[in-house]
Amino acid sequence: MAQQAVAAAPAQETRHQGGVPTWKRVLRYTVVRTIGLFFAVVMGVYLTILIANMGGYVDKIRMAEIQERVSIRFMNDPTFRQLPEEERRKRIEAEIALEAKRLGMDKPFLVRSFLYLRNALTLELGFAERMTSDTGSRQVRLIILERIPPTLLVFATANLFLFFISLGIALYLSRNYGNLLDRFFVATSPLSSAPAWFYGLFLIVIFAAWLRVLPFGGMVDIPPPPTRWGYFLSLLRHLILPVSALVLSALFISVYSWRTFFLIYSSEDYVEMAVAKGLHPRLVERRYILRPTLPTIITSFALTLISMWLGAPIFETIFNWPGLGRTYFQAVGFFDTPVIVGITVIFAYLLAITVFLLDIIYALVDPRVDIGGARRQQG
Amino acid sequence: MTASAPQEQRYVLRAVDVVLYFRTTAGLVQAVDHVDFHLGENRAVVIIGESGCGKTSLTRAILRLLPRNVGVYKGHIYLDGEDIMALDDETFRNRIRWTKISWVPQAAMNALNPVIRVGDQVAEPLILHKGMERKDALERAREMFRYVGVPEAFLTRYPFELSGGMRQRVAIAMALVTNPRLIVLDEPTSALDVLTQANIMNVLKKIKWDLGISYILITHDIATSSELADDVAVMYAGQIVEMASAEDFFKEPLHPYARLLMASVPRLHGDAELEFIPGQPPSLLNPPSGCRFADRCPLAFAKCKEDPPMFRVGERLVKCWLFEKEGTPVTSHEALSGVG
Repeated sequence: MAQQAVAAAPAQETRHQGGVPTWKRVLRYTVVRTIGLFFAVVMGVYLTILIANMGGYVDKIRMAEIQERVSIRFMNDPTFRQLPEEERRKRIEAEIALEAKRLGMDKPFLVRSFLYLRNALTLELGFAERMTSDTGSRQVRLIILERIPPTLLVFATANLFLFFISLGIALYLSRNYGNLLDRFFVATSPLSSAPAWFYGLFLIVIFAAWLRVLPFGGMVDIPPPPTRWGYFLSLLRHLILPVSALVLSALFISVYSWRTFFLIYSSEDYVEMAVAKGLHPRLVERRYILRPTLPTIITSFALTLISMWLGAPIFETIFNWPGLGRTYFQAVGFFDTPVIVGITVIFAYLLAITVFLLDIIYALVDPRVDIGGARRQQG
Repeated sequence: MTASAPQEQRYVLRAVDVVLYFRTTAGLVQAVDHVDFHLGENRAVVIIGESGCGKTSLTRAILRLLPRNVGVYKGHIYLDGEDIMALDDETFRNRIRWTKISWVPQAAMNALNPVIRVGDQVAEPLILHKGMERKDALERAREMFRYVGVPEAFLTRYPFELSGGMRQRVAIAMALVTNPRLIVLDEPTSALDVLTQANIMNVLKKIKWDLGISYILITHDIATSSELADDVAVMYAGQIVEMASAEDFFKEPLHPYARLLMASVPRLHGDAELEFIPGQPPSLLNPPSGCRFADRCPLAFAKCKEDPPMFRVGERLVKCWLFEKEGTPVTSHEALSGVG
């Protein structure tokens, strides 16, 4: 009877033999995510092109500028001044049309918006109207390429610190639920509602203006130290305040929410099961609390990261940090549409890459993440 | 105690005067209140009783799986004659957990880590407690899967890819894998459909016959559990009120609460209307000083104001004044001899 019973139940569930290998699942997931993210980037960039050109209104400003420039040149040129009124106007109009054609303004905006989109996506970012790179080039691509490393440096450093510091503190708090430090972090979690640049201001006031131990801003001393080692140390010194500001701004809420995730996940039945199985408490924590919580942690971390990117323009301006964000801020001030579009494209790509990397990590740590995973789910 | 030492060997598990109280803002909850309890070699004891009567707390006391808010936790629990309550946590973890006592928790389908393949989870205790190589441990897990009726290919699956019944079987395989002395089953079938329930019960029976493992089985499903039970313990408001062999108990329960409980179980034959017990079990925060069932008991009389001792009636134990004349009162230490 027992034999018969044992044999009966599995019959309906044998259609999936074995599990799907992890690499296959992650690969499939990656491909689908890439396509999705590409479309998101295209949409984002196109919208920026429309907005940065004010739906074509900027063209009118540009045309007016061309007209003005050409007219003034004709006015100031003695050879043209002698020409008859009629002839001169004709020449001016021809010159304006030529200039417009050179800048591609003769085609309707809608057509050009797609040309811009293609150029933007292939990183053919064109020429800036007013800004130049440090090497004196007007190529938007060069302006941006020069600015990416500082931005990546400060944000990557800050996020690495943030991730591991938060993880450590959150685990510690979940282990010591309700103690003084735990209550401190619960109470201080609203502090994270202030953005990084806000903390930046305070840190600058305290450590640069008052204590005079750290620089106000910038990336290295002026003039830059001649030796490689000296340059590195100077860079580190300049990194301390911006990184601290970024970490501080997100730390409280990260610690608070991650600690809560750990607490929630440590009341799961399988954690108790692991304890009953006689696993070492550290192993229980690592394999039965941290591992299952990681997907949630990573989602929360991704959101923090993205919101940090968004604060970059003001943040870098505060710290006089020569990164993408500050350049963006300047470009907006100059009305330099190609630079604005260029930086937005780069930001869109950076965001997409960030999300993409996190997605892959997510798929690696959680076997339930799978395209079409719902199909295979059983009752 | 020394005199009764040889007798202890007859039991896989003996609980003497076990107390487990929880601290709450309202006061101490007396979840397990001076419980004596024993389990013979290769026997299955079924613990029955209403929700909240302390069944699960009793198993937690045995397994030392305690929440943060433990108020009082004392007594003696002898496993093969050794008082495991006296062991420190680390020794208990190493020597008792899963090597001697394993556990199939309530809602065992949630007892699997969602991000680890089930095979690895089943093999884990072997690697940890027996120092086995992963490969050998997985081989043993495969054996256990076959034994409880889970397809071997499922070893590399994740829990979410398995149905509820399959996960339950995996949990049972996990409990078996180290070949323990005792398995505590806390409502192992409560969330399953009747077919799967019957299947699992059959698996459990087979395990008992083949491997000689003892069970503590907690259940609400008296009908299904009667298949497996050798002994029955009835719990009410944190106390055991009756203990008897299954045969005796199912024929005629003695304690008024047990009688009413059994009368509320549907039967296929007979026209008797299902009975229910009026009123609520007393709060475990401040239980009445006398018999805890007195308020709801149709047979209550003056004496019930006092706390009744356990009375031995023939081979059985019952905590009720009605049996004062036929039975002999026993203390918790004596209560253990002669039954089971």
